[in-house]
Amino acid sequence: MVEAANQNKGDIIKLTIPAMAEYVSVVRLTSSAIASRIGFDIEEIEDIKVAIAEACTMIIKNGEKQNIDINFEILADILNISVQAKYFVCQERDNKVFDVYDNKSLSILIIESLMDKVECESCDGIVCLKMMKKLRVDV
Amino acid sequence: MGLEVKKEFDKNKNVWILKPMGEIDIYTSPSFRDILLEMINEKSVDVILDGEGLIYMDSTGLGVLISGLKKLREKDKNIILTNIKPNINKLFDITGLNKVFIIKE
Repeated sequence: MVEAANQNKGDIIKLTIPAMAEYVSVVRLTSSAIASRIGFDIEEIEDIKVAIAEACTMIIKNGEKQNIDINFEILADILNISVQAKYFVCQERDNKVFDVYDNKSLSILIIESLMDKVECESCDGIVCLKMMKKLRVDV
Repeated sequence: MGLEVKKEFDKNKNVWILKPMGEIDIYTSPSFRDILLEMINEKSVDVILDGEGLIYMDSTGLGVLISGLKKLREKDKNIILTNIKPNINKLFDITGLNKVFIIKE
């Protein structure tokens, strides 16, 4: 599995979409194809696809006319993904109050559960959600 | 892929049967919400969601189900999920919603 990732080590793939609901399916398809190319298994591909789509959903919910930039960086046994936009209010996970009827942080809860590392950064007015998924190596 | 929703009222069991086919995401969830709320407004009875043809659902889809359940609970009714695919079931586990909805194998 790692062979596939090693072959593409250091490769960067960039995808920009308008922040519109109809393009999220394009992101899902692209994410699945990239994750599959690297060698993730079916469940991991689904995790990556869902997490990236949730990040885009958070941005699109803001309702601002803008673009979403998605970067995929392939490392030896890691896939780094960043999803960024100007108008992006990143949800904060609230562990203390969990009212299922009024949960405003479902997206970030899902992303943090499915990915190995998640952090939100703000730089020069652009908000960036960085996610990492590690390739499991079968011994 | 998109979304197609089939609905029927089972007179014998006095329940709604809801069959979403395809994907419920930020693009398709508004129409799914309209259909679900229209059904509940027409008849406030239990809703059985058959997930046989549902291949993907995101947080917006969960949000629609939560708002539907909230309305039904006022009348002491429920949403029962059946034939849910493992990838979607995983989202219910992660979010704790598996304890809120009735999920049948």
